[in-house]
Amino acid sequence: MIKLTIDNHTFEVQPGTSVWQAAQSVGIEIPTMCYLEGTEHFTSCMICLVKDTGNGRFFASCSTPVIEGHNIITNDEETIESRKAALELLLSEHVGDCEAPCQLVCPAHMNIPLMNRLIAKGDFAKALEVVKRDIALPSTLGRICPAPCEAGCRRKQVDEAVSICLLKRYVGDEDLKCENPYQPQLELLSGKKVAIIGSGPAGLAAAYYLQQKGHQAIIFERNNQAGGELLQIDSEILPVEIIEQEVAQILATGVQIRLNETIDDTRFAELQNEFDAVVVAFGAVNEETYDFGLMTTKTGIFADKASYLTSIPNVFAVGNSLRASKLAVRSVGQGKEVATVIGNYFRTSEVKGYPERFNSKFGRLAEVEFIQYQKDSENAPRQKADRSGFTKEAAIREAKRCMHCDCRNPESCVLRELSDRYHAVQKRFQSEVRFNVEKFIHREGIVYEPAKCIKCGICVRLTRQHQEEFGFTFIGRGFDVKIGVPFNESVQKGLEKTAEIVAKACPTGALAMFNTEEQI
Amino acid sequence: MNDEKNIQQAIDLIIAEKGTAARAVIPILQAIQNTFNYLPEEALKYVCQKTEITPEQIVGVASFYSQFRMQPSGEHIIKVCVGTACHVKGASQVYDALRRHFNLTGNEETDASRKYTIEKVSCLGCCTLAPVVQIDEITYGHVGSDQVANVISDFEKQAGISGTRKGLFRNVDGSEIQGEIRIGLGSCCVASGSEDVKKAVEETIAHTGIRISLKNVGCVGMCHQVPLVEVIPKNEKPTLYAKVKPEDVPGIIASHFKPLGTFSMLKNSVYKFFESVQTDTVWDGVKQYSIDAREKQVSDFLDRQVPIATQHRGIINPLDIEEYKAHEGFIALKTCLFDLTPEKIIETIKDSGLRGRGGAGFPTGMKWDLVAYNHADVKYLICNGDEGDPGAFMDRMLLESYPYRVIEGIVIAAKAVGVTHGFFYIRAEYPLAVKRIRQALIYCRENNYLGENILGSGFSFDITIYEGAGAFVCGEETALMQSIEGQRGFPQIRPPFPALSGLWKKPTLINNTETFAQVSYIIREGSAKFSEIGSKKSKGTKVFALAGKVNRGGLIEVPMGITVRQIVEDIGGGVQNGKKFKAVQIGGPSGGCIPAELYDTPIDYESLLKVGAMMGSGGLVVLDETDCMVDIAHFFLSFTQNESCGKCTFCRIGTKRMLDILTKITTGKGTMKDLDELEYLAGWTKKGSLCGLGKSAPNPILSTLKYFHEEYIAHINGKCPSGKCQSLIKYQINDLCIGCTLCAQKCPTDAILFKPHEKHEVITDLCIKCDACRQVCPVDAVEVV
Repeated sequence: MIKLTIDNHTFEVQPGTSVWQAAQSVGIEIPTMCYLEGTEHFTSCMICLVKDTGNGRFFASCSTPVIEGHNIITNDEETIESRKAALELLLSEHVGDCEAPCQLVCPAHMNIPLMNRLIAKGDFAKALEVVKRDIALPSTLGRICPAPCEAGCRRKQVDEAVSICLLKRYVGDEDLKCENPYQPQLELLSGKKVAIIGSGPAGLAAAYYLQQKGHQAIIFERNNQAGGELLQIDSEILPVEIIEQEVAQILATGVQIRLNETIDDTRFAELQNEFDAVVVAFGAVNEETYDFGLMTTKTGIFADKASYLTSIPNVFAVGNSLRASKLAVRSVGQGKEVATVIGNYFRTSEVKGYPERFNSKFGRLAEVEFIQYQKDSENAPRQKADRSGFTKEAAIREAKRCMHCDCRNPESCVLRELSDRYHAVQKRFQSEVRFNVEKFIHREGIVYEPAKCIKCGICVRLTRQHQEEFGFTFIGRGFDVKIGVPFNESVQKGLEKTAEIVAKACPTGALAMFNTEEQI
Repeated sequence: MNDEKNIQQAIDLIIAEKGTAARAVIPILQAIQNTFNYLPEEALKYVCQKTEITPEQIVGVASFYSQFRMQPSGEHIIKVCVGTACHVKGASQVYDALRRHFNLTGNEETDASRKYTIEKVSCLGCCTLAPVVQIDEITYGHVGSDQVANVISDFEKQAGISGTRKGLFRNVDGSEIQGEIRIGLGSCCVASGSEDVKKAVEETIAHTGIRISLKNVGCVGMCHQVPLVEVIPKNEKPTLYAKVKPEDVPGIIASHFKPLGTFSMLKNSVYKFFESVQTDTVWDGVKQYSIDAREKQVSDFLDRQVPIATQHRGIINPLDIEEYKAHEGFIALKTCLFDLTPEKIIETIKDSGLRGRGGAGFPTGMKWDLVAYNHADVKYLICNGDEGDPGAFMDRMLLESYPYRVIEGIVIAAKAVGVTHGFFYIRAEYPLAVKRIRQALIYCRENNYLGENILGSGFSFDITIYEGAGAFVCGEETALMQSIEGQRGFPQIRPPFPALSGLWKKPTLINNTETFAQVSYIIREGSAKFSEIGSKKSKGTKVFALAGKVNRGGLIEVPMGITVRQIVEDIGGGVQNGKKFKAVQIGGPSGGCIPAELYDTPIDYESLLKVGAMMGSGGLVVLDETDCMVDIAHFFLSFTQNESCGKCTFCRIGTKRMLDILTKITTGKGTMKDLDELEYLAGWTKKGSLCGLGKSAPNPILSTLKYFHEEYIAHINGKCPSGKCQSLIKYQINDLCIGCTLCAQKCPTDAILFKPHEKHEVITDLCIKCDACRQVCPVDAVEVV
């Protein structure tokens, strides 16, 4: 047995064990991307560097056998920095989007591509469910949203943007029309209560998502009808029934609403005592409205940008109360976010900003790349709709125009997970020139996107292990090295036996099965 | 169809010779390329059918090594040396000029007529002739960017007549010898035209009937004076002639030797008469070219040196085994075979203090001990001759000029550690070294210095030559072994070290060529004599390739501990053209720059590391005030970046991103933040890379950042103080202009506005900064601002 010390734990392992395995055996997790149990170590990603306290040098733990008396550090500041540096270098050449530009542009951060793909398959109920993860009022917004997402849509560069807003309206309306409209899963009641002042888009959304998390939401509305600013919109554009139906769906989750109840300074102070948290969502602040003694800015009530916490503990503010605008989708998004912030606060007693996830981004497509992205979509013009919205056929056809800009492995991607964990900044070492994106698509099997590859060689080792006739190999060397199939054979020819195996083992989104959906 | 059949036939022959094992892949690919001039895809597929080699392996390997081409090249290959010495003397402008000459755009490498392919090579090993261009077998030295047209037309002339030349050498009866003429045939000498000089000597001998023996000797080291001819008349003192031209030869010979008999004399004078009439050359007389061995500068060049690896330089014919024996050759081997136990041999090497000459300086004796200690049924030995540093050519010279000394050292090592099979790994770009070693191995086998039961000692050992295929990283020992095994040259993590598990997982002794070349001396003369030379921790001598802005460049072997100043000033004769010494770059792409204020740094492993440089394999490039240090850092980094194998993140992307930043800085787009990021990346690439290439790649940056920080700042402020960085400079014509129009005639882009007899003007927008105008101006009126 060999005795060694890792992060001040001294223990024994069998000779021949790698430092990485030794750490694993005592519950110390060292991240890795290029190492895969069952294949020979390759030592390429260098994410698993650890420090030898003896000489201060770094080495790859995945491929270094333990030595008697080794004293190793895996988690000091310098080692953490090594991971960040390696990640930032990998990200600097990583040409791919974790999430599609449309989703990133959407103020409610809705998973648009996933909705599109579900519509394309005809699974409208599932599509609606995806929409409702982020947007509490899809039919309403489907009529009034200025659709910033469509400005971000890559398809716009090719011909015209995908008609996202109308697609969302379509699934929203389908849901309202059906006998068993969608009801979200509700968590058990936590016993916490939240007062929400105002029933506009922000307040409704906050209530809807808080209630789902098991926190009793009670809305205080000074008018006799819920909807706030939405009620001011021309009913030709937004019929009042749509608002009513969507509000009804929200109330169906258990949200309570107190109509005709105006909150003044005194009542506001009481609410703070009676409730575990208060959400201010009463719309734009002006001379006629109260500010309840909250700190204000030029545009409205002051609140932290990430947590929506105001100058009073337990009081949060969202929607037009922060800044007046006509962007209901933003209010809806903030309502969802504040619900998460408050939910986390109840769990941890700590107010933290809405968790922002790492997103790899590469910006505009070059014209030569259009064809690569079109491989994932159908080539049709943007579908037209009349006042009643899309027909089923038009919706499906339109949804198929989506180019699947989002990654196929957004959840399983180790690069994303680690970049998130180590707060890596993608732009830091990026140069003006990037690799061109390419997509090799086999619709019955695998999709290979070389520009997302980190050259860890796992797929090369696996295809060799399984004795593929062609397999994958390294082509070229240095910075320009690529993984590819020998003799320019097709990807499916290279992966006759191993498509699913390599797709599963790939630590990024470079290899994935065509129909993978990780966020469903 | 016919084509396919031809290919298959050719491949069948190749496989019959090289075998069908997976490890034969590189020799097979080399043979295919020799046959077809590139690697046709059908050929590779056919190889996969007929051998154990898989498509994954063959494509991976073929695309890894830069020697292999997937597309046919032009009829002739023009290699532009972009090694350090050539770089500082304007190689990239020569390369650009050649590309313009052949109208190449984008990534094109071959001209429209498919006659010429232009390639950059990292070092042709003729640093003293910089900048150097090689077309097929003909090498041109001191090529200016305005001379490429002349070079091409000269090549076409040469290529046209080369087949018609006759060898006129005549063997001379030894008893009637009147003297000896020695001609250097190292690569520098050959490149500078020593073959032509040799032919001229042969012709002269043939015409005059003078009985002298003509002898080829290896590299003399005085590469700054090549071609060198030494004349040794019987019973007279020798005279050394430098920079000899073929037309000088008859005069040189006539001044030393009298033709035999009146008839010959008459014939001689008639011949000479016609010769001068026909060629209209005016011979300036011998004196001007001769350098007496006792003249100060030659003795300065030689006196400070201590030849051990290069012992008997300029005296012995590289391939003459009898002569090597006559100069104490194989005495050490015999001692080791018959008188010393392996333990004693290793002890002697340990006592001598010899450390690996490959750059890192690991104690050689200790390495031998480790291999000897590891008992295994099979062990291997490798002589690392994959020298690839731009600006270093020690290994090449040792292999070319002292093949027997290297072999002797290898056999001694084999005996000491108990190895029965060895490999010579020699860089692809060194065809002459391969040829010489191949021949030397044959002679050694014939004389039983190799093979079964060597000299009846009961010890058997043999060596195979393995030619590299063009990958600098294969100088790294684990990558080198991967390459011998027929894989991509990806370095492997150590441990396990090769001494424990190396080639095919067997204990393997791997030493540098120069290390082996020092072994026989140590055994013969004793460890004490060797360890007397040098400094406290670095014993013996080190061979350097001295080049750059120095008066006398060449190969030198100096005692460890000698200072940079002594090398540059005493041996090298100071900086060229009276310019100021700025720095010396030592250790090539893994090394660093030593600035003027550290001129007295002693050259040994520890002192060099302390100042941020490294012994490396021994390139020593002198830089003067006109050299830009940021450009130097950029130059070395573009080399390592290009040679990175691409395996580990820090080297693959780190070197690329550092290069991006340096490019920004040298083009005036850098910011102060870039300097911080550069330092950050340099630090992590050094700490985090897998192998020595990546770990040392940041050294040229770190050392210039340390000693020449203000130059970086100047670039960020939009100025290149030395006027080197093209984006930051402008060409201008000053009042010295005499209006001769020469510059305008040379300008490839018509960027010079001229009227005869009036001051000309550069149109900056059109100027491509090729430097042709400045080089051609007779009155130095073109200036860089």
